[in-house]
Amino acid sequence: MSRPRTGRRTGAVAVASGMLLLGGCGIQGTDVIEAGGPATVQAFVDHDTEMLLFFHSRDGGISPVIRYPKSTVEYGPDGGMVSEQNSAGQGSTDQDGVPVPTEKVILALLSGPDDDDRKAGLSTSLPSAPSAGTLRVKVSPGGETVTTELPIALDGLDRTGLRQLFCTIAYSHDENGRATVRLSGTDGASTSGTCDLDPTPSRQP
Amino acid sequence: MTSGTGRARRTLGTRVGRRRAVDDGTAPKDAPAGRAPRRTADDVPSGRARARAFGLRTRLVFAFLLVAAVSAGTTSALTYREARNALLKTAQDTAVSSFRDQVQQTGWALPVREEGLEEVLRDMARKGKPHPWVVFAEYGSVRASSGENPVSTVITPELRRAARAHPNGSFERVVKDGVPYLTIAMPTVFKAGPESVLPSGLVVYAVMRMTDEQINVEALLAAARDGALPGLVIALIPGLIAARSVLRPVRELRKAAQSMGSGRLDTRITARGSDELADLARTFNESAAKLETSVRELREAEARARRFASDVSHELRTPLAGMLAVTEVLDEDAERLDPDTARAVRLVSAETGKLAVLVEDLMEISRFDARAAELNTDEVDVAQTIGKTLQNRHWTDDRVRTDLPPGIRARLDPRRFDVVVANLVGNALRHGGAPVTVRLRGEARSSGPSVLVTEVADSGPGIRPEVLPHIFDRFYKADAARTRSAGSGLGLAITLENVRLHGGTVRAGNHPAGGAVFTVEIPLHLEEADG
Repeated sequence: MSRPRTGRRTGAVAVASGMLLLGGCGIQGTDVIEAGGPATVQAFVDHDTEMLLFFHSRDGGISPVIRYPKSTVEYGPDGGMVSEQNSAGQGSTDQDGVPVPTEKVILALLSGPDDDDRKAGLSTSLPSAPSAGTLRVKVSPGGETVTTELPIALDGLDRTGLRQLFCTIAYSHDENGRATVRLSGTDGASTSGTCDLDPTPSRQP
Repeated sequence: MTSGTGRARRTLGTRVGRRRAVDDGTAPKDAPAGRAPRRTADDVPSGRARARAFGLRTRLVFAFLLVAAVSAGTTSALTYREARNALLKTAQDTAVSSFRDQVQQTGWALPVREEGLEEVLRDMARKGKPHPWVVFAEYGSVRASSGENPVSTVITPELRRAARAHPNGSFERVVKDGVPYLTIAMPTVFKAGPESVLPSGLVVYAVMRMTDEQINVEALLAAARDGALPGLVIALIPGLIAARSVLRPVRELRKAAQSMGSGRLDTRITARGSDELADLARTFNESAAKLETSVRELREAEARARRFASDVSHELRTPLAGMLAVTEVLDEDAERLDPDTARAVRLVSAETGKLAVLVEDLMEISRFDARAAELNTDEVDVAQTIGKTLQNRHWTDDRVRTDLPPGIRARLDPRRFDVVVANLVGNALRHGGAPVTVRLRGEARSSGPSVLVTEVADSGPGIRPEVLPHIFDRFYKADAARTRSAGSGLGLAITLENVRLHGGTVRAGNHPAGGAVFTVEIPLHLEEADG
């Protein structure tokens, strides 16, 4: 009787393997599969009239926002805060075709997210700018390095805050954000870095 | 045992005739064996039916079907998988690229404002390709969708993590409650400068039910299954043919072996091809040929031996006849000789007579062995025949009692029946004790024809049980001490052969009241023609 039993076992194995083969029937779930690049959305930045500020969202990521400088503050030559009304149509900067100065952009960043930004859940890791201070921006002859003297202390800043500064300054100075940024604070501390947000492969070292 | 009267009545066959009879003896010997296969063939079906349940044919067909099932199953499964994957890939690629296009064609403000976002998403949802989808947007803490819930329950954390970690489009197929969904995550970037893009922080998700794909895949599955099943049915045909090609030689072999067993040693199988079965057939043929040779040699040797015995007894006959004539003359003259010489002459005469009986019996038994003995039947009154036998032997005194109801008629060979009765009565008188009783009766049998029963009972001590099985053997001495028997030692053997020739049986036994009883049963063929 061992023969028939072997036959039966063989049959069972055949049926089982058949079930296995046809087992992957229907549509199964998959892992996460990468499929092409991201969507490049139409959000052009006009560097002559608009600023690119970098805030961070709740998950720790850095998100750029486009800000039209409706009203900006600026440190005057004497170091005090100067308010400049820049109503649409008669603002001096946009008519000149000159990019928004980096000093202005930094002060806008330091003044923190506005209502829209906050509604979208964005915040900053930077302290707000003191009412009086020095903000100086120097560009190296080749334009690769931007040295900035900040009116705040660098010591208490975390990594996110520094990235906010690096990216904002780099993209303010250069549309492609490739410049190396050197920062020095009121406390004498200094650091340097680049903005590493661009996912284009050629930009990665 | 055989009486002198019996001997005298025997006719001497010519030597040539005897020889031929011995030679021909092989031919009828095969005849009963030839009937044997019919009996064995009747035995086969029950065994065959049991063997067939998992017989060679079943196993071969089963193996074929198994192979076919595996190959058809594998092929259709692989085909199905490829087709399904291609189908799904097309749907997914279409969905991902069209979703990317839609996201790109939509204008976004940075930061993304929650107001109006749902309208934008609903607009995108309507343009879903290949099917409408539900669009979700996540930016900072903003969560919006084109559907009812701002956050999808289908999108997995893995997909979210992947979209946040790498700015690449990605998708994941999720089966939730048996419904397959395609979830696409599309992180967005924007052009910060002519040569640079920046992740905007906005990730748009699309969730699409793959209902049509599911239907198509099910159709594919049905097609694969329906394609495999006819394949199996078709595989049955070569399976049966292969089983046949194997089974036919096996069947031939079985028939050949059967016919060999029934004595047809010249059976051979035609060996076709050069496979193992043909080898087997050739081996069978070789063995059969060797067996045939051996059997033929054996038969020839046996025939030679038989012929030798027959020849010897025949050659002894002529000188014995002369010696008998001389001893008769000497017997008559014995009275005139001196007593010692007279005793010697009588002894020689008696021994010569015994030798003549022995030679006659030997010739008779070799005739049986050669199957040359013929039955010359005649319808007779059995009681009369027995009475004549006893009278001829002068057994009419009170040593032999008879119980012979008259009127029982049977078809017998009177000469052979005479020998049977004479041998049995003579044997009883010699080894048993007087009085000897001969009884005759007809007996109806429930199965078969009625029989004629002849009983010869003596009043001696009976036959010892250990002797009973051998009582009809040739030259068997019931008493080992008595090496010289009064008879030839062939009397009962000849009786047995004669009864057999009539188609009857003879039994030896002991009567409960003492004495040996020999029972002869011969079928009564009164109504039948002489066979």
